[in-house]
Amino acid sequence: MVAKGRIVWVSGPAVKADGMSDAKMYETVSVGDAKLIGEVIRLTGDVAFIQVYESTSGLKPGEPVVGTGNPLSVLLGPGIIGQIYDGIQRPLKDLAEKSGSFIGRGITTTPVDMNKKYKFTPKVKVGDTVQPGSIIGSVQETDLIEHGIMVPPDHAGGKITKIVSEGTYDLETELATTDNGKTPIKMYHYWPVRKPRPYKSRYDPTIPLLTGQRVIDTFFPIAKGGTGSIPGAFGTGKTVTLHQIAKWADSQVVVYIGCGERGNEMTEVLVEFPHLKDPRTGKPLMDRTVLVANTSNMPVAAREASIYTGVTIAEYYRDMGKDVVLVADSTSRWAEALREMSGRLEEMPAEEGYPSYLASRLAEFYERAGRVRAQGSPDRDGSVTLIGAVSPSGGDFTEPVTTHTMRFIKTFWALDAKLAYSRHYPSINWMNSYSGYLADIGKWWGDNVSKDWFELRREAYGILQREDTLKEIVRLLGPEALPDEEKLILEVARMVKIGILQQNSFDDVDTYCSPQKQFKLLTLLVDFYRKGQAALREGASLADIRAMPVIATLLKARMEVKEDELAKLDALSSTIESEFKNISGVKVSA
Amino acid sequence: MSAQGGVQYSKIAEIKGPLVIVDGVESVAFDELVEIQTTDGQRRLGKVLEVGNRKAIVQVFEGTTGLSVSGTSAKFVGKVMEMPVSEQVLGRVFDGLGRPIDGLPDPIAEKFIDINGAPMNPEQREYPRDFIQTGVSVIDGMLTLVRGQKLPIFSGSGMSHNILAAQIARQAAVVGTSDEFAVVFAAIGVQYSEAEYFRRSLEESGALKRSVLFLNLADDPAIERIITPRVALTVAEYLAYDLGMHVLVILTDMTNYAEALREISAAREEVPGRKGYPGYLYTDLSTIYERAGRLRDKKGSVTQMPILTMPSDDITHPIPDLTGYITEGQIVLGRDLFRQGVYPPVNILMSLSRIMKDGIGEGRTRGDHQEISNQNYDAYSRAQEVRALAGIVGKAGLTGVDLKYLEVGDGFEKEFLTQGVDENRTIEETLGLQWKVVSLLPKNELTKVKDKFIDQYYKER
Amino acid sequence: MGVDSALERTVEKILQNTEQQIVSSLKEALKSSQATLANSQATLEQEHDKILAEGKKEAEKLEKQIIGNADLDSRNKQLLLVEESIEKVFEKAIAKLQSAERGSDYSKLISSLLQESIDTIGTSEIIIQTNSKDKSVVQSLLSKFSGATLSSDAIECLGGIRVQSKDGTMKFDNTIDARLDRLKPLIRKDIASKFGR
Repeated sequence: MVAKGRIVWVSGPAVKADGMSDAKMYETVSVGDAKLIGEVIRLTGDVAFIQVYESTSGLKPGEPVVGTGNPLSVLLGPGIIGQIYDGIQRPLKDLAEKSGSFIGRGITTTPVDMNKKYKFTPKVKVGDTVQPGSIIGSVQETDLIEHGIMVPPDHAGGKITKIVSEGTYDLETELATTDNGKTPIKMYHYWPVRKPRPYKSRYDPTIPLLTGQRVIDTFFPIAKGGTGSIPGAFGTGKTVTLHQIAKWADSQVVVYIGCGERGNEMTEVLVEFPHLKDPRTGKPLMDRTVLVANTSNMPVAAREASIYTGVTIAEYYRDMGKDVVLVADSTSRWAEALREMSGRLEEMPAEEGYPSYLASRLAEFYERAGRVRAQGSPDRDGSVTLIGAVSPSGGDFTEPVTTHTMRFIKTFWALDAKLAYSRHYPSINWMNSYSGYLADIGKWWGDNVSKDWFELRREAYGILQREDTLKEIVRLLGPEALPDEEKLILEVARMVKIGILQQNSFDDVDTYCSPQKQFKLLTLLVDFYRKGQAALREGASLADIRAMPVIATLLKARMEVKEDELAKLDALSSTIESEFKNISGVKVSA
Repeated sequence: MSAQGGVQYSKIAEIKGPLVIVDGVESVAFDELVEIQTTDGQRRLGKVLEVGNRKAIVQVFEGTTGLSVSGTSAKFVGKVMEMPVSEQVLGRVFDGLGRPIDGLPDPIAEKFIDINGAPMNPEQREYPRDFIQTGVSVIDGMLTLVRGQKLPIFSGSGMSHNILAAQIARQAAVVGTSDEFAVVFAAIGVQYSEAEYFRRSLEESGALKRSVLFLNLADDPAIERIITPRVALTVAEYLAYDLGMHVLVILTDMTNYAEALREISAAREEVPGRKGYPGYLYTDLSTIYERAGRLRDKKGSVTQMPILTMPSDDITHPIPDLTGYITEGQIVLGRDLFRQGVYPPVNILMSLSRIMKDGIGEGRTRGDHQEISNQNYDAYSRAQEVRALAGIVGKAGLTGVDLKYLEVGDGFEKEFLTQGVDENRTIEETLGLQWKVVSLLPKNELTKVKDKFIDQYYKER
Repeated sequence: MGVDSALERTVEKILQNTEQQIVSSLKEALKSSQATLANSQATLEQEHDKILAEGKKEAEKLEKQIIGNADLDSRNKQLLLVEESIEKVFEKAIAKLQSAERGSDYSKLISSLLQESIDTIGTSEIIIQTNSKDKSVVQSLLSKFSGATLSSDAIECLGGIRVQSKDGTMKFDNTIDARLDRLKPLIRKDIASKFGR
């Protein structure tokens, strides 16, 4: 039975309708004469509380509400990559075609072009047994994405009784049938957004997600399938850092959710990504990116849904055996949407007016990250890495969204307004940030870059830690109160900050830094530090060390040395050596 | 709009703060415009905030003072609030609800537009890239304004924000185009003298005929302030997207707007967020600020410069805080600089223009613009640290390089930042001054600039 | 040669020297004053140019201001004129409506106004008010609308009706005046366009 009721009350995005005893929780409904899209979020007797994903301006009590029988779901199939969707998977391009430059209401579209034909290559034959999740064939979705067509997770699988031969087909074509499954398998299926997609088993995260950002990869790394959070007051460069991750992360798919943020930021991604080349494949970045845009001025209920829409798409590509990064900017705006709906429903508020279930919702979201063995055959491993921005009010990290988030994530990149004010970007504070993956991924660096990596990183971080304590003394007594070897620590810490931690995302060379280059820069600075301390012990003056011309070169190396000229960095190593030799009366022993 | 009028209801259940609750209503829509009529025939406007169970909660823009439960009636007009627009609105002065107060007739409308606007489709936006030369060095050089941007001024009470905004409105130009330019000014709860200063400034520069003014002054009804920025932006969007003009919208003071919003929320007994402001303040502000932008296939643009005074100069207060999360940067005025008599007293370290990077550089301003700006930030930030240090250990305790940075700090404030109220500098002059400031430093201190630019522009002083 | 002649020669020499000095210093003075003159002339010219340029800038500013404001003034006068004409058109229309014949067409109009009012207000239990002229027209229609009664008080209006629910909580103004008011913003554009605006 499809629920048919009438509106009895309207307040902003919240609507109550009676006569809804046939409605199910989280069922999508059509609201009012304008046929707005809504979702049932509470049932009391025959009254349904509905959150409406479009502006309710002009809605009247007495207008009809009709159920669809289905929970809020996304369509999963080829054609998703490269799209920009709103919070409930409506392509913004289609919305523009139907309502112009400004978003109209009551518009229905299909998430992908159902008539587009893809060349399908079958991977199974009649008689093969398939399970839920098994790949039956593939299509080339973009230059970068080979899209595995899977038996839907809620399909029974069984023996293949029929499968089409290699050829081009549209999305509605019945590709295969099985003896168990009632429904034929097509190129697409639907999946409810609030239900995590199943997998076979889960791995420990041991492979780093490389982002090309030195402060992240070298100092506070995140693992594939891991969780990270990036909190910061406004103006600390949150969005730029997230864009950098979306651009340069070594994943096959990026899902970028603009959740209650600026419209122009989504436009920026749309304008920029098609022109940027993936450093590993040389293809346009847009060929691996999906955008979900529900900007701050778009309806608040759809903002709540956008997170789930995004993560469900991410899980779908994970199930094909791909590494997926999902970036959500910002989870605070999502939490505010929860708060607004909760307030309209007159629920009992917890801290700062947020609903008491805020923490459990955050936990559920971050729990959808992970590196997994997918269901079905053939064997494949994929991952979803979740990175959520947090926008703490007043930059205060003790507010509810930040504190709850910290309980569920393992990498914490704390943005610092003071660093941003002094134009130290990315303004990730190296004393307040942490990574819980360091030990797990150390092996990868040892195997793939250098066995010295772990030790070098530890030493460099030690210099920063020492500087942090020494800074207090300097603040009280001035720098002259310190002995020379401690002054050298300050000097080298400054070099690490400028030469490694800072990274100019708008500089063509500096914007991306390979693990090899990161390692070499780190080696040079630690080497400089060791030689400097040795020189001081042998009687060299600090002034001479400070005056070494190589310092300026070291600091600019991140911008001046391109990825294909890394040998220049090796040459710098001998420059350091010879300049230390030149400091009069000093014999250097490295 | 039809000739169909609305039903007038006279059963008022309750009057509470700015709200009137009407009972026994039929067929009333959410967000609908309401005309409240008093016994003596006075009319006030309002809108429906909530409707259900035959009751409608109506927010009265002009306040409920003098309304009584027995003598009041409410007419539901059957449409949302609209603003009549046409080219004739240019050169006109309206009140905070968009009604003429300059003694001239209602503008003859080309169309009537819903003042709430609709959200711009992000896919249809054109990314802002055209550099606006304001002639103010600190803005052009380090906080570049771009067409379609929203860049607020965060100020404190009594500081020179309105003088700066007026200077920008007079001087703003896009070099090398002859496109039409317009200014929309919305005064939200400001004093008469401030609004008058602005009007005169536009008049003296001959810009009044391409300006539209909306005035809700300090002694005008507070709830009307909810509407003022919206009617102003509705007109701005019309001028931009229908008539192809480049519109600079100045909204002053958004703090008064947020306070009006808080008043309504308190009257509805909603669960408050921080400092008593409603939890939806962010979303609400975004429906104003996000109306800045450019559209593909449309010629015009809406650039916003909202002004807000930070209560107790506190940038973490919810109003500047949430504004900063939505706008594309902020220009922060500093109390210290203001006290020292520096104009414009911009605290550059706390200020930022997010879109700057896309509006400058080779072919727009100059190839070295970003880097020399970064170097100035870096140098001035270092200068501030040295100043603090000098306060403790005295100048004698400073190294030679540190002393150079002290000079840079002074040079920056005196030669680059300080500028006359009528002084209109070209971008070349501004960039020249930036190089002049950092030329106080030895060459090897310039770590943010590529060597080729140093060779070209650096002249040690 | 005595001391005197030597003295004389010395004196002469001194005199000569002095004379030369005087001449040369005179020449010098002349030269320098000429130079100064030339110089100050240049400065003067510069000053002059500067004053002129500033004056020109000021004049341009003033010109912009005067032209801008004059443009605005003439536009505003035009607006007032157009408005006056619109008012005249409306006055004429009102006069025509007032003197309109209360024929069968008019009765049909009142009947549709009544139906519309009942639909809008949501009840047929209504009290109708109208002006003294239209009373008979309304009276003749009452039989078609059961539940409707005609108020004995006449109201001031051009024509049409005003309706209220019997409990008095709902009112609907459907007089010609009210309808004209609602239509006015739309009609103004049409009238104005006839004035070539």
